[in-house]
Amino acid sequence: MSLALIVMLPFLGAVLPALMIRAGRGACAIATGSVTLLAFALLLTHVPAVLRGEVVQVGWEWLPALGLNVTFMLDGLGLLFAGLILGIGLLIIIYARFYLSKDDPMGAFYTYLLLFQGAMVGIVMSDNILLLLVFWELTSLSSFLLIGFWRHLPEGRQGARMALAVTGAGGLSMIAGMLILGNIAGSYELSVILQNRELIQASPLYLPALILILGGCFTKSAQFPFHFWLPHAMAAPTPVSAYLHSATMVKAGIFLMARMWPVLAGTDAWFYLVSTAGLATMVIAAWIALFKDDLKGLLAFSTVSHLGLVTMLFGFGTPMAAVAGVFHIINHASFKAALFMNAGIVDHETGTRDVKRLGGLLFLMPITATMAMIAAASMAGMPLLNGFLSKEMMLEEAAQTSWAGQGWIVPVLATLGAVFSVAYSFRYIVHVFFGPKRDDYPAKPHDPPAGLWLPPALLVALVVLIGLFPETFAGALVRVAAGAVIGAQVPDFHLSIWHGFTPALWMSVVAVVVGLTLLRLYPRVRALWQAGPHPEAKAMFDAVIDSVVLASRLLVLGLHNGSLQRYLAFMIGAAVVLGFAAFFGTTHAPGGRDTLPVGWAVMVPWVMLLATALLGVVLHRYRFVALIIIGVVGLVVSIGFVYLSAPDLALTQISVEVATVILILLALYFLPKSSPIESTNGRRLRDALLAGVGGLGVGALAWAVMTRDFATLSGYYLEQAKPAGGGTNVVNVILVDFRGFDTFGEIIVLGVAALAIFALLDGALRGRIARSLEGWVPDDPVSADRHPIMMVVVTRVMLPLALIVGVYIFLRGHNMPGGGFIAGLVVSIALIMQYMASGFGWAQQQMRVDYHAMIGAGVLIAAATGIAAMVMGYPFLTSAFDYFHLPIVGEFELTSAMPFDIGVFLTVVGAVMLALAQLSNMGLRLANLPVNTRPMDFDPAALRADGGKER
Amino acid sequence: MNFVVPDFYPAAAEIFVAVMALVIMLASTFARRIATALAYYLTQATLIVAAVVTVATMDGQVMLTFSNMFVSDLMGDFLKLLIYFSVAIALLYGRGYLADRSMDRPEYYLLTLLMTLGMMVMVTSNHLLTLYIGLEMMSLSLYAMVAFDRESARSTEAAMKYFVLGALASGLLLYGMSMLYGATGSMEFSGIAQAIYHQSANSTVLVFGLVFVMAGLAFKLGVVPFHMWVPDVYQGAPTAVTLMIASAPKLAAFAMAMRLLVYGLFEIAEHWQSMLMFLAVLSIVLGNIAAIAQTNIKRMLAYSGIAHMGFVLLGLLSGVVDGDRHFALNAYSSAMFYAVAYVMMSLASFGMIILLSRAGFEAENIDDFKGLNQRSSWFALMMLIIMFSMAGVPFFIGFFAKLSVLQAVVAAGYIWLAVLAVVMSLIGAFYYLRVVKVMYFDAPEDSAPIHAPADVKVMLSVNGLAIAVLGLLPQGLMSLCAYALIASL
Repeated sequence: MSLALIVMLPFLGAVLPALMIRAGRGACAIATGSVTLLAFALLLTHVPAVLRGEVVQVGWEWLPALGLNVTFMLDGLGLLFAGLILGIGLLIIIYARFYLSKDDPMGAFYTYLLLFQGAMVGIVMSDNILLLLVFWELTSLSSFLLIGFWRHLPEGRQGARMALAVTGAGGLSMIAGMLILGNIAGSYELSVILQNRELIQASPLYLPALILILGGCFTKSAQFPFHFWLPHAMAAPTPVSAYLHSATMVKAGIFLMARMWPVLAGTDAWFYLVSTAGLATMVIAAWIALFKDDLKGLLAFSTVSHLGLVTMLFGFGTPMAAVAGVFHIINHASFKAALFMNAGIVDHETGTRDVKRLGGLLFLMPITATMAMIAAASMAGMPLLNGFLSKEMMLEEAAQTSWAGQGWIVPVLATLGAVFSVAYSFRYIVHVFFGPKRDDYPAKPHDPPAGLWLPPALLVALVVLIGLFPETFAGALVRVAAGAVIGAQVPDFHLSIWHGFTPALWMSVVAVVVGLTLLRLYPRVRALWQAGPHPEAKAMFDAVIDSVVLASRLLVLGLHNGSLQRYLAFMIGAAVVLGFAAFFGTTHAPGGRDTLPVGWAVMVPWVMLLATALLGVVLHRYRFVALIIIGVVGLVVSIGFVYLSAPDLALTQISVEVATVILILLALYFLPKSSPIESTNGRRLRDALLAGVGGLGVGALAWAVMTRDFATLSGYYLEQAKPAGGGTNVVNVILVDFRGFDTFGEIIVLGVAALAIFALLDGALRGRIARSLEGWVPDDPVSADRHPIMMVVVTRVMLPLALIVGVYIFLRGHNMPGGGFIAGLVVSIALIMQYMASGFGWAQQQMRVDYHAMIGAGVLIAAATGIAAMVMGYPFLTSAFDYFHLPIVGEFELTSAMPFDIGVFLTVVGAVMLALAQLSNMGLRLANLPVNTRPMDFDPAALRADGGKER
Repeated sequence: MNFVVPDFYPAAAEIFVAVMALVIMLASTFARRIATALAYYLTQATLIVAAVVTVATMDGQVMLTFSNMFVSDLMGDFLKLLIYFSVAIALLYGRGYLADRSMDRPEYYLLTLLMTLGMMVMVTSNHLLTLYIGLEMMSLSLYAMVAFDRESARSTEAAMKYFVLGALASGLLLYGMSMLYGATGSMEFSGIAQAIYHQSANSTVLVFGLVFVMAGLAFKLGVVPFHMWVPDVYQGAPTAVTLMIASAPKLAAFAMAMRLLVYGLFEIAEHWQSMLMFLAVLSIVLGNIAAIAQTNIKRMLAYSGIAHMGFVLLGLLSGVVDGDRHFALNAYSSAMFYAVAYVMMSLASFGMIILLSRAGFEAENIDDFKGLNQRSSWFALMMLIIMFSMAGVPFFIGFFAKLSVLQAVVAAGYIWLAVLAVVMSLIGAFYYLRVVKVMYFDAPEDSAPIHAPADVKVMLSVNGLAIAVLGLLPQGLMSLCAYALIASL
């Protein structure tokens, strides 16, 4: 329980500073410090158990479905890291109280710091790797807030973003790696995973998992080639750098490598990946550190270098190297945190961190100088200090390691790293504190108040104590932590100052001598360095970001330029590609159904259909012609229906065809007579290709479907039409009986659509559109003879005939081709002819029927038929029929479906007439032509008298 | 021929909503002066009562009615409840926005209700035709809503594109459905499944039908390469409508995918899974990369939505591996959880855009979020939560959604797919965090105070906090998703 409390305390306590800041900066710092102190104290209560070798565990289920549980454990490694995080955290809190100026929002700073602290403790104490990941991402985020704390500094924001981008990316890579690892081991609990070394290393997914997890570790711990973010993060306030970049965040990657060491280490892949990255980082970063003039920059690169050292040690994969790695973690944290705070003091008191503007501070700031000298000497690996001990152990291991069969590579490079390390460490001492006093410091230097120098002083004391009495002060901790890393028996070792004249000692001697020589010749070495290339990581990072943005912009421009044509082309193209993928993905033999015989009666319409379709494509720019062609296509199709014994469909098709052609004709009247060519040739070629390929595909599909047998519904209806519906015209019986309810719905829709057209056009006749169209003149001159006498006579003679045909078709509907729908269309066509031939006004005068009412009446009659059935005690729209015998007429049939069909008839007539009449009316009004009230209102004599001008 | 009266009980909620749509239409015709307010409150009341009716008629059983064209099961009920919720929230957010632009006519609320009805029919369909009717009902309402700002050329253009492309997609879908029917002789999902199971289906025609059905489905989900409408429509539509499009219809589209693919075509899962993989990979890659270049936040969210839908597909495609089906439940419930999480985030993010907009000003550029922290630190925090959650940062619901989908993908053995998805999420994090960066680090360009009705402010805060709280305690919602699926499969 108290384990969970250790993790939760910083999170819970994070509200305190935000609240306490009103009580003053001191109170705020005390509140923050006491939270950390409490957590630290709780941690200490577990020390005896951990030192006995026990693993303290506690946990609850959180999301068992995902394998994510809140389980914590504390072993030696966790204890070591948690101790560092909380202990150094406490010192940093004190230090920051005195470091931050009055203008800085200290409450927010401590809140972020505690959040970060909680996340770090969470990482090192999680037993569940998914939980660990959660905390891992939290450290990235909270460190983003801390690094970017000084918002007024642009480099702070940029540094924060870069740090977040790189470590966040690593974190995501690690999510993938951890998921794979958990999948191999069958559990996300570390305690389970750590038991499954053989299983994991034998898995084919071991390498991807390893690479992904190392991706997370390397980015977090700033290993080459991901090291570039760390120096840029130095724009953060110094307490942040001291905390994040010495003791905690950058150690998280190291921690994870140590944590995963038992399962992941020991393979060739691990050795080459990890030790190579570590070695390269150690040498390169140390070399760069030597030339950094910014004190924090120097320390940043030295941190990178030392992280590389630890990484390399873990990479070796031997137990003794792991012990050395663990020991160096402690030592590095102590001297590097002290140095960062020291650099902060120098900055704070002199106003600059630039080495070139410093020097001679030894007697101006004696306390600071003393501490700096001890800590830096430890960093250089001078004897009697803790840095020396772990460096000796490192060199010892390096001397025994061969890389790709070459025994000399690792020792030589390790020594080289040590050389640079000595050189930059002493540069920190010599160039800052020694040399002549200057008189141009930005501020007058003096030692800081105790609040600033005490925290680093404690660490410096630790540096000396461990250096002198390693076994007493660090032995137990190193042993138990290394035990947790290695998992098995810890090799027998003894931490002591003197090991005899080992190879490591000679390597150390070489390092010190050469390193000091380098420093002596510093101007010349520096000139050498300045001649070489300086790849600027930030520029490269920015270039990568810029190129991604550019690529994205190009992609968007290419795909989404807003052109509907392009979108359609993409969509149809995708459908075609998918269709062809399916075609080649399955068997595509034609089906076994026999084709029907082909006679001339089929061939002629077929050729006509092809020809008209082709003509349509060629002539589609001439709109009237295209419309006629479409009409022809419709007629040919209806011939097809006749041929295939579907006279009802043919009738419907013909009447619908005529009605729609008239509708479109009336609409085309307002539009230009031909379409302009708007697309380029290339685009038309593309469209032609797409259309061709798509058409072929659809044709092939139709072929495939039609050559196969399939079950149809028609048998059922053919059988049931007569006995159940009382009619022999199956189509009509289906319409008014079997699917009567559907038909009822459809006529309502038809009526609503007609009303909508009426409303739209009526609005257009009155409103803004009418005004804007007022000046509209038809493209072509209007014929002087508006109502040719021949048309008038023909249509009037035909009207009674057409009406009789309509009644005939209606009555025979139930048994023979016909019915209310077709009859309605026939009658409407006859009526609309009157409008067209004799003029709107005249026809309107003769036709006194209100079409609105007609639609309503139709729907009502149909509904009444249905309700009548309900009155009789049957469900809605139940039909009944019987046969009657009248003298003269003979036997005839009456069905309840008949009135229903009348309803259909009335609605269809009303709907078509309402829409078409309104459309033709609009055309006349907009053309500014008077609506004639008499037929044949054109007087040829008047034309002659006017000399050919239109009235 | 006898007409059998169907059992109306399972469809009580749908019938209620349909009746209310008519009532609202009539009421707002006769009560002209208060028509808008009346329509708004009646619509909200309808949604609430529909939720009550849905809960009351829910009994955990699978009930079929209307000649097996309609199914009422727990998955449907759960999704319907979420749909009511998200439509109600979207209406609440959008009301002030519409009023500021004189678009708050009763027709808008009527269309919303009809759209809701369409989605309900989709969710409860057990038949190709009911599915299609629901889909069209939803789509047609949406087309009209996109064009609701008749004065705006951009809206009209967006609506036109949406309609033309949507009609094409519907055509493809219908074409595919006709082939499914031709191949299996059934339009009912269970009938289709049985025909395939007994191997009486014509496999060539079946696969073609699947391809075209998939194209229609992909269009509705808005995934690549059928995504072309998404950015233009999201940007062109009034924000209140974008909010509508980007929320509940995603749930309906998810239901459509479940009904079609899992209920109907589960036997050929391996076929459609490989197609989904193609769609998912393209969506995640293109959505995330294209979002980077956007300066318009509505457009950015459109591309991010494409990527998120890709993630939903990742869950759907991990169900069956080499004929092994025991991951299926887990995979589908992860996809469902993802869809739900996305709708929550989507509502909140477009709600934020509405919050910052006012009469005569659209806060649709990322720059309009500059310095939000100084203008209102509370809503900056809400936006931070939303963006972090979308980016998949831990302790927000978006993280668990991503995690559960990724686990399903890894469990199915598609390691490369998981890695790709993770890499692309990283790119995604870039543009979400840019919004956070401008809110916190840049100086505000627009110093006008944030004016919004109290209900919007409260709801938006609840929405943002829910994303955070469900990020800490996602267990309940996750098990609900799983339970709804178990009871319905």
